[in-house]
Amino acid sequence: MNAEMNKPRVKRESRNRIRVDFDRSPLKERLKAKFLNWYFLQKILLTIFRLVLLIGISYVVLYPFITKISASFMSVSDFVDTTVRLIPKHFSLEIYRGVLTELNYAGSLMNTFFLSTAAGVIQTFICALIGYGLAKFKFKGNKVVFILVILTMVIPHGTLHFAMFMKFRFFDIYGVFNLLSKAGIMKAVGGINLINTFWPLMLMSLTGLAFKNGLYIFLMRQFFRGLPDELEESAYLDGSNTLRTFVSIILPLSIPMLVTVFLFAFCWQWTDTFYSGIFFNSTKVKLLTNFIDTPKSLARAYKASPGWDMYNSSIINTCGLVIIFPLVILYVFLQNFLVQGIERSGLTAS
Amino acid sequence: MTQEVKLQNSASKPKKKRIASLDKRKARAGWFFVLPFVLGFVCIYVPMVWNSLTMSFQEITIIQGGGYSTEWVGWANYYDAFFKDTEFVQTLLTGLANMAFEIPAILVFSLFMAVLLNQKMMGRAAFRAIFFVPVIISTGIMETVQANDLVNKYLEETQNTGIDDGSGQQVTEGIVSLFEVERLFEMMQFGRGLAVYVVTMVNNIFNLVNRSGVQMLIFLSALQGISPAIYEACKIDGATTWETFWKITFPMISPMILVNAIYTVIDSFTTNSNIVMMYINDAYSKSGEEISSAMAWTYFFIIFLVVGIIAGICSAFVFYQRRD
Repeated sequence: MNAEMNKPRVKRESRNRIRVDFDRSPLKERLKAKFLNWYFLQKILLTIFRLVLLIGISYVVLYPFITKISASFMSVSDFVDTTVRLIPKHFSLEIYRGVLTELNYAGSLMNTFFLSTAAGVIQTFICALIGYGLAKFKFKGNKVVFILVILTMVIPHGTLHFAMFMKFRFFDIYGVFNLLSKAGIMKAVGGINLINTFWPLMLMSLTGLAFKNGLYIFLMRQFFRGLPDELEESAYLDGSNTLRTFVSIILPLSIPMLVTVFLFAFCWQWTDTFYSGIFFNSTKVKLLTNFIDTPKSLARAYKASPGWDMYNSSIINTCGLVIIFPLVILYVFLQNFLVQGIERSGLTAS
Repeated sequence: MTQEVKLQNSASKPKKKRIASLDKRKARAGWFFVLPFVLGFVCIYVPMVWNSLTMSFQEITIIQGGGYSTEWVGWANYYDAFFKDTEFVQTLLTGLANMAFEIPAILVFSLFMAVLLNQKMMGRAAFRAIFFVPVIISTGIMETVQANDLVNKYLEETQNTGIDDGSGQQVTEGIVSLFEVERLFEMMQFGRGLAVYVVTMVNNIFNLVNRSGVQMLIFLSALQGISPAIYEACKIDGATTWETFWKITFPMISPMILVNAIYTVIDSFTTNSNIVMMYINDAYSKSGEEISSAMAWTYFFIIFLVVGIIAGICSAFVFYQRRD
């Protein structure tokens, strides 16, 4: 190609319009230049490597769920058959039927749903409140309170196992209730028994002491620190007070973060065994976490068959699947917020 | 003249007062916001911690017909935990050693994954959604279910024997075998220790993914917080991706590495799958709550020391961006 060919040809079409023609090199050469170079190769290799890695790890993450789901549709004979891997030969819904009808699923689901929703909403709001107070207000003791929040996260609740039970079995605030009941105002000598009610978890949620609330408060604090102060200042100038500013200006802005925290609080309460083990020791309050069991009709029918161990394990797995099923639906709807919450939270230094 | 002076006085005095009261009002509002926590901390948390701490110095006898009596026994419970219980010290050491191995792996893995998931590519949202599935779902009850899962084990075993060429080995093999990695590492002149470490970690990948969810989240949001202008400037100056990572990304997210290190320590020693925690829970039902709380507090203080040391070491290297 010589220089003349490279020159664009300019043709005047009308008074204020021109047309420019370029000589393009042939398609083959253009493609060659585009795809046959070191840079492109590197990019392709990197993409493939990344994709393989991500798909591999996604597989690792999802594999246990896939096996559980496929096993939940198998019948007993499939567990003995060595040719059966992931796809059941004798498709059956027996396990589901047994688990859903015999184990009081609906009742446990209602209780757990109520408990988790209440805990999730309260914890989200309270942690936002505390995080906002720590992030945006300078007062004496701000740092001390923050350190205390971290401290509640550091001391494992496992350490407080028995103390927690005693606290809520004989609930009393520094003997005040006892004094009041001695004076005849209340009826609670030796404290109130809150075991087997939702109160212990509600009280702990209301005071930001429940499971991993330290983490939520920390996340909220970092998030609110990233919001510009001008927002509130303009609200104050317009005559709004701090609480109103918080509710009508700050909270709507932080919906992705709130949803993230709500998702954590809700799901972790849903699958929690530690607190429900402490606070609910009777069978009166049915929760999903103590719902796992083998249905009697299945046990009677298949106990003697050779694949029973595996079958039983599969029944337990199915219970687990049934428990987490609502969570999966919730997650599918809210995961978009989770990703957004991450993107906008902008955790930075200091 | 006099009137003017008076006016000035009267104008300046209340103004000064108002500023002071605004600060005070803001401080009051701050206390109002943190009030729930402070109340709960003072009324519920402190008594609980105190109760648990004193319990480790007491002996409890349950009186029949309800109630219990306590007797101060000093350090006896701690003595029992350390010298009479034969396995506690051993378990504690193993637990700490495990932690020392796992924490760097979790940190490196979550950082690596966060960097990967932060890049623009096809299906990023889907991958992110999948990666956070374990954090949301595989906790609490599912952890227990998964630990007792026979089906999964069975399928894995049969799969491996299927691939096996019939050499007679019945041992379940992991994703990678030590032998291959060792050969690879031999060429790169690393020690055998590192090879064993990498192999263990890769074979534990499910566990690793499971436990690095929150850390990944924190790293991702920290990565999002880095201004793209810095990367652009780097690119213009001709830095490679590798250099950009070590000179920009790494220092910028180093505060979050500290946070994550501490979070991982706390998280890994409080989960119920931790061997020391399991041992303590066993002790709770076997030898009573006094000894178990003595053990728990010992463990807690050790962890507190570990956290302190990590925080001390890390904060020497942490880079804080100065905001003007």
